[in-house]
Parts: sequence; structure tokens; C-alpha cells
Amino acid sequence: MKNQEKILAIINNIERVIIGKRDIAELCVVALVAQGHVLLEDVPGVGKTMMVRALAKSVGAQFKRIQFTPDLLPSDVIGVSIYNPKDMEFQFRPGPIMGNIVLADEINRTSPKTQSALLEGMEEATVTIDGVTMNIPKPFFVMATQNPIEHEGTYPLPEAQLDRFLIKLRMGYPSQAEEVEVLNRSQSTTVIDLDAVISLEDLIALQNEAKEIVVDDTIKNYIVDLANRTRKDSYIYLGVSPRGSLALMKASQALAMLRGRDFVTPDDIQYLAPYVFSHRMMLRSEARYEGITTQEIVERILAKTNVPIKRLVKQ
Amino acid sequence: MKSGIQQKTLQGIFYILVFFLLREWLYPVMELTDTSHISIFLAFIAICLVFSYFSVPWWLSGPGKLVYVAWILIIVYTNEVFFTREAISFLFGDLVINMAALFNRDWLLVTDSFRTVLFLSLLWMTAYLIHHWITVRLNIFLFFFMTVIFIGALDTFSPYAGDGAILRVMILGLLLSGLLKVAQIFELNQISPSERKYGFLIVPLVLLVAVSGSIGYLLPKAGPIWADPVPYIQTFAKSSSTGPGSSGGIGKIGYGEDDSELGGAFLSDPTVVFEVMVQTPQYWKIETKDTYTSKGWEQSVASNEIQNYTVGDVLDTGIKVGPEEDQDIAIYSFELRYPFLMYPYGSVAANADEGTTFSISNNTQKIETYQQNDVVELAEYSISFSEPKFSLTALRATTPESLEQLSPEFDRYLQLPESLPERVSELARTITADEESLYNKARAIERYFPQNGFVYDQSNVAVPEGDQDYVDQFLFETNRGYCDNFSTSMVVMLRTLGIPSRWVKGFAEGEEMRADNGDKMFQITNNNAHSWVEAYFPGVGWMPFEPTIGFSGAGNIDFDLELNTPDVPVEPPAPEKPEKPEVTDTPVNKSISERLTETIQKFGSWIADNRGLIIWWSLVAIAIIAVLFRVRQKWLPKLLVPYYRLHKEDWRTFEKSYHRLLKQLALYGIERREGQTLQSYADYVDKFFGSQDMKKLTNAYERGFYGKNNDSLEWLKLREIWENLINRTSS
Repeated sequence: MKNQEKILAIINNIERVIIGKRDIAELCVVALVAQGHVLLEDVPGVGKTMMVRALAKSVGAQFKRIQFTPDLLPSDVIGVSIYNPKDMEFQFRPGPIMGNIVLADEINRTSPKTQSALLEGMEEATVTIDGVTMNIPKPFFVMATQNPIEHEGTYPLPEAQLDRFLIKLRMGYPSQAEEVEVLNRSQSTTVIDLDAVISLEDLIALQNEAKEIVVDDTIKNYIVDLANRTRKDSYIYLGVSPRGSLALMKASQALAMLRGRDFVTPDDIQYLAPYVFSHRMMLRSEARYEGITTQEIVERILAKTNVPIKRLVKQ
Repeated sequence: MKSGIQQKTLQGIFYILVFFLLREWLYPVMELTDTSHISIFLAFIAICLVFSYFSVPWWLSGPGKLVYVAWILIIVYTNEVFFTREAISFLFGDLVINMAALFNRDWLLVTDSFRTVLFLSLLWMTAYLIHHWITVRLNIFLFFFMTVIFIGALDTFSPYAGDGAILRVMILGLLLSGLLKVAQIFELNQISPSERKYGFLIVPLVLLVAVSGSIGYLLPKAGPIWADPVPYIQTFAKSSSTGPGSSGGIGKIGYGEDDSELGGAFLSDPTVVFEVMVQTPQYWKIETKDTYTSKGWEQSVASNEIQNYTVGDVLDTGIKVGPEEDQDIAIYSFELRYPFLMYPYGSVAANADEGTTFSISNNTQKIETYQQNDVVELAEYSISFSEPKFSLTALRATTPESLEQLSPEFDRYLQLPESLPERVSELARTITADEESLYNKARAIERYFPQNGFVYDQSNVAVPEGDQDYVDQFLFETNRGYCDNFSTSMVVMLRTLGIPSRWVKGFAEGEEMRADNGDKMFQITNNNAHSWVEAYFPGVGWMPFEPTIGFSGAGNIDFDLELNTPDVPVEPPAPEKPEKPEVTDTPVNKSISERLTETIQKFGSWIADNRGLIIWWSLVAIAIIAVLFRVRQKWLPKLLVPYYRLHKEDWRTFEKSYHRLLKQLALYGIERREGQTLQSYADYVDKFFGSQDMKKLTNAYERGFYGKNNDSLEWLKLREIWENLINRTSS
């Protein structure tokens, strides 16, 4: 199977249980292949858990779930060393983060301390307990969900930590017909029925090959150009960091692979930029009063930035 | 297997046709540059093509060709036939000389053999280029087109006649282009070699070319619309002669032997020939010629008498000598040397180194110099002379009747070509009708030129073409020329009247340089080369005449008439003091500078007169250009398609043409927005045209541009799509 076919197989597999959310599934797989993490922001009950479980099943990965609550402690996430009186020594009990695919549900319900424990693990792909650093098994993919910030009883994630998510998505409600189809399906297929379509080794291979996708200098310039413009926009208090530029490039490589290309085009960038950039920017208060979202600003910047179609300097 | 052979055969035919096309280039080059050994060059082309045809690797073909080149040099420039020791040492010696010349930038020092090598390398490159055209590009149109232009231009602007060549080129070129197109069609549509039906396309092609070629050949052709520019160009390019004849080859003034084709412009040449110390300015005679060919002068071999004199002997030049008391001595010192004397009228004796012999040819009056039976070119000598004086009384007593008793030896001085137009003798009769004496008739002809609007000119002088007569052309058509025109015309007219006359070559007086101790020094340069007339009157002898405007060197007249004779023609005093000796070259300078200022003035006044018109037309031109620019979307594709066809099929061309297409689409009204990606733009364009073409092009472009991978792109197909799209934008 070619790389593209493998990725499509995952997506098709997910589609068997999630109805009408192919774009979301695609973006999730893109994040998985780009070795990034996904933040899903949505109301409960639209299939977030289902999505991530289906994804885990499709790649034959170990699936762990952490339900964040206000009283959850960091050790509940990363694990704890317990003294074993029998062996006369401390024994490490790995926490739920030590899985391949982790669903961190309602991440903004827990205290910043616990949140940062999770996010550190996400970024470094290691956890440190009692001075011992342990690698989290690869592939490692976290899908965090959060309730819309306006909801009560939430601890909003700090900007620095939002930056750790490659992509931020909204699932949104299904349409009428889709929801009916959801009801129909619930009577037959369940996530349990899904089989793995590729192996974990295949997934790791995909992740490695995605890095090889050609990103032309003009495309890199285009990415940086876009990031720069977010920093200079008059509505923006804090623009996209260089980490954001890097994230966009990685994601675009994975998307190019999904589209069956071995090179990135501006279309990939334009498609991904809202998902990759929006959550990395902070609006000025006046913009928030005017009801402008970061999403809109990214769209506007995209429309105004010249797409590179010509090499300006002869090589 | 069979198909492979077929393909190779077709390619062989290409090479054969190319060989013949190249031959058409070689022929005129050889003809116009006087290069011989055409077969050697043809063989070289053949070798190059054969090597290409059999795809001989470069390390084999390169040395092979070099060996052949070396062999050519040996054959042509040495007496050897093979690579003998002498031949090889010649090659190396030549190489060293030419390398040295090249490094010292002495371009004139490179030898002929080196030029041959350069020419062969040019042929080599041409053969390679054509090989590329017919194997890679499968298109020979450019070369074909250039060949036609080349032959056409040569036919028009040079003496080369390309009548047959153009026919051969057209047929060969059409055949070759057609066959290449056949090959291209098969290639483009990727038809497997076994399925290629060559005969199916080639037979009609050959028939068509043959039929159209023969119809074209048989059909009557319109004559040229404008006059043949060759004579005009020749007047500038071709050598001309003045005075003592043309020097043949270079258009420079000076003494030369060959006067068989007179006419044409010449350049002035201030090279000093000799300096002479003498009291009075003299004409320096070299020789005479007797046979007029209607194009120029030749010498009959009627009498071959030669008289030999030694130093100090009294010479008999056949010209009357003046009184002894007027004797003068001319002391020569030569810068350029000639094996003959340049003697003044009335020469008495010549002095030079002891042992020098002077031999006067009765035929030409040329006095050649010998020492011990070998021709010698004297640097210094002196001639004592006394200018002849002609008695006016005797001259006036010469009557046409006296001519009847002339001895037959004068026949050669009455010779005229049969083709001489009747109007020349009619003119001579008209001019001289009122004159009684032979002398007055001759004077009338001599004076005819300045009095009838003839112009002295060295640059705009025609050369008689075809059946045209040199004298007739000057007298009745051009009315402008230099000494050769005037003197020849006078001789011919005198002869039509039965007066024996001959054409004299020599130098005019020259420029007076300085006068110390009473002697005058005259400097004679090539610019002073001159020709004049001698006429024979019974009872008087040979007498010089000077019909050329601006010169005054005719023989001295002794006004020995009785003073009470009322009808004494008031002759201007004999040319004791001729006008400034520069007269010879001033006409050139004057005419050039004059013409230049004239032209500038004319141009200025033309602009002044037509200012309104010029502004008006400029506005119209600007408006037309502006309109053309506005509607460029309509016509640009018509140019772009052939333009990009000329380019190599590669990424660079594709990239350029793709961007050109984007521009053209924008002109058409489908513009890409600033932030729009090529893909979404392509979707938009395709939706507009209802096709998939833009998508295909864009995919290829993106793969090449963003993916840096353009190996597997099919240029020909892409070009087809591109042409299809860009043509739509002009509709």
C-alpha cells in the first residue's frame, strides 16, 4: 500500500462510525502523521470520544483516556512511584499518559498544575518522576477536548500551552440527515467492531516519511510571511510564534501526503492555516468586543497574502 | 526489427537532404570568396553527418574529424599527400605562427591555412547544430528559412545568381520539413515503431512537393519589382580605376595594369609614389593603350617593336620635342618603385645608374628599365626634356582630308568596338560640326564636357552592365565620372571622326612641396594617378589633350598666328601654372563633405517643412501602437505559440509559457486573486472554459515548481494543452 492509501484507509475506517465528519477525521489523521496533538473544542456529546477511539482502533494503538476533573493531580496523569514493601523498593506505576493514543477529556476543567503536567509530556514525549525520565511509547498522540471557554467552572489553558497543540478543531453538530444516520448506525456498528487497518509500525513509518515531503523555499517563505502578518495585524495582541510556523509546515507535509503528493503546495497551507494558527493568536480586547475571531483574521490574511507562484530570484 | 530499419532509413534520408541543403550554403560562399577545393569542404560536411548518423562516440568522431582537417591542410597548403615528416612539421610550424599571432592580436598575420581551419570548425558546428535539429527537435524550419533568406539575399545583393539554388532549396527544404513532421507526428502520439506506416504519409508528401515544385517552376514569374541593386553596390565595393588604370581587387586609386573594366567608385590613397625636382609642373606619362572594348582598354599586339637606349642616349618617344634652349631636367626619387619610367612630354634623354637600359615599346610608349637584361625598379633617375610647343598655325591647318593619307599603322588608333552605339558618333559630329580644322574639332570635344553639365565625381560612378557601353553610359546617362570617363569618351569620339587617338596613363602634376635654390619639388601620390588623351594630327604629330574637368595639362600652344587675324581664338594661356595640384583629390573630399552637409541641410529643411505632418503621423503611430497594445490579448497568442515552439522542450520553457498563459488569462479577464492558489485558480479557469486543461498544466507546474521534480513531465503534450488554452484566450 502506498502512503496515501494507508492514510485514506484510516480515514475511511473512522468514517464507518463517525458520520459526516470526514474533514475532522482527516485533520486528526494529519495531526497524527505530523506527530502533533489535537485540541477539540466543543460541547459534549458530538462524538469526540468516538472519533479518537476509532482512530486508535484503526491504527491498532493502545487507547487511554483521562477524564480531567478539578481535583485531578499530576500523578494521576503521568503515574506514580509506589513503595513496594515486598521488594523493598519504589515501583513505578505508569499513568494513563503512557499510552499511544490518549484522550484528555475536558482538559480545561482541571487545575493548571495538572494541565501543565499533561502538556509537558505532550511536548517532550517523556515524563519525569522522582528524577527519572521515561520515554512515552511511540507513536504518541493526544487528543484533548475542552468545553468552550465561556462555560463555567473552567481553567482556560494558558497561551504557551495552547501552542503545544498542532491543530485546534471544532466538531460542530451534525446535520439533520447525518444525525438520523447516527441513530441508524448506533443500532448496528460500534467502535468495538472496528479493526486495525494499519499497524503501529506502519504509522511510525508514515510519520517518518512525512518529514521527507518536499517543502520548497517559496512555500517556507509563504508560511513565515503568513506568521509575520499575524504578528503585525492591528487586531492581534499576540501573533503566531515560530513554533506555529513550524507546526504549519509539519502539518502541511502530512496533508500533502494525504493528498497523494510528495511536495507541499500553497493549497495545503491555506487549508491548514486556520486550524494551526487560530489558537496561537491572542486578540486585542477591542477586537473581542467587535466579535472578531482569530479564525476570521487568518482567513483575511490568507486572502491578502500573495501566493508564491514564481521564483523571484533565479537560481 | 523491420520498423527499426525503417526509422533508420528515414533518418538517413534526413541526413542526405541536410547535406544537399548545406551544399547550397557552401556554393555561394565558395563562389563569392574565391575559395577553391569545394569538394574537400563537402567531404568534411559529409563526414560530420555520417559520424552523427551512426552516432559515433565523440572520442572517436572528434579525433577523426581533426585528422581529416589536418589532412586537408596538408593537401591544400603543401606538396605532400600524406602525413610525412615535412607535412607534420608544416602543421606544427603553422600552429605556432597562428597561436603567436592570436596571442599578440595580430589578426592580419594569421595564415590562410588557419582561416581554413576556422571555416571548417564553423562547418563542424553547423553540422552538429543540424544534427540536433533533426534528431532531437525534429524540426528544421529555422534552418530551412535561413537558407532561403540567405540565398535570396545573396541573389539580390551579390553577383551570385541563385536561380537554380532557390528551387533546389525549396524542394529539399519542403521535403525535409515534411518528413520531419511525419516523424514528429509518430513521436508525439507515441505510436509504437511497428505500427508506423511511413508510406502512408510520405508518398503523398513527396508527390505534393514534386507536383507543387514543378508547377511553381513552370509557371511564368513576374520580373523584379525594383532595380537590381548589385551595380549600385558594386560601385562602392568594386575596385575602380583612374588615370593609369585600376589596380584590380581593391577600390583604391593608383597605377594598375588592368583597365579592361572601367567604372565604379574608388577610395583616395595619399601614398607617395615619387618626388620630382623640376621647374614647371608636368604630366608624367607611363604608357598608352589603343583598343577600346566598350568596357575598358586593352592593348593590341599590332607592332612589337622595341627600341633600346642606354644612359644618356637621345630617346625617341614618338612625341615632338621642344626647343633646346627650354630644356629642363626632372630629377626623380621614388617611394614606390616601378620597372618603367614616368616621363614628361618632350623627353630627350634619361640618366640613371651606369648599365641601365631603357627600352621603349612602340606599342605602348612604355619605357621599361633593365640592368643586365633583368627588369629593374629604379629608385632614382633623371630625365632631361623640353616641353613641346605646338604651332597654332599648323594646328589650324589640319584638315579632315589629310587623314585620308594616313598609313595603316594608325589603324589601331582608329579601332572602335562594333557594338558602339550610333549616338556616340552622332554626338561627336554634332559637337564638331562648326569646326573646320582637326585641332579645333578636338578642342571642341575637349571643351564639350565642362560646358554641358558633366560632373567630376569619384564615388557615384557607374559600371557598365551587360551590353552597356562605358562611353555611351557616361555621355548619355550618368554624365558624371572621373578622368577615365572623360579621356576614354574623348578618344572614342575622336576616333568616330577618324582622328587617330590613344588613351594615356600616367600621373598628373602632383603637389608643389617646396622651392629651394630655384628648383621646385613636386610630390606625386597615388591620388595623382591620371589618364588623358593623345590625338594625332597629320603634320603636327601626337598632341596631348585634357578633357577631364578640373585638370589643365594640355600641350603648350605656340601662338604664332599673325596678330591681325581677327578670328584668333583667345586661348587661355597654356597651363604654365595649373591650378593647385590637389585638384586630383579635392573632388573626393569636397563631394563627401558637401554631400554630408547637403544631406543634413536637406533633412533639416524637410523636417521644418513637414513639421505638422510629422507630428500628425507620430500621433497616428502612437495611437496605433496604443490600440495594438490594448488589444494585445487578441494577437499575442498568435505570436506566442510559434515563439515557444522554437524553444527547447524543458522545464524552463514550460515555466515561462505557463506564466505567459497566466498573464494572457488575466488580459482575457480571468484574473487570479492575490491570495488565490494556482489550484483554485485552475479550477476557476477550467470551469470557465469547460475543460480540464488548466488543471493538467497546473498540476505539472506545481509538481515542477513546488516539488522540484520535473523528470516525468511530457513536454510535447503539455505544449499541446498550453497552445490549446492560449488560443482560446484570443477568441
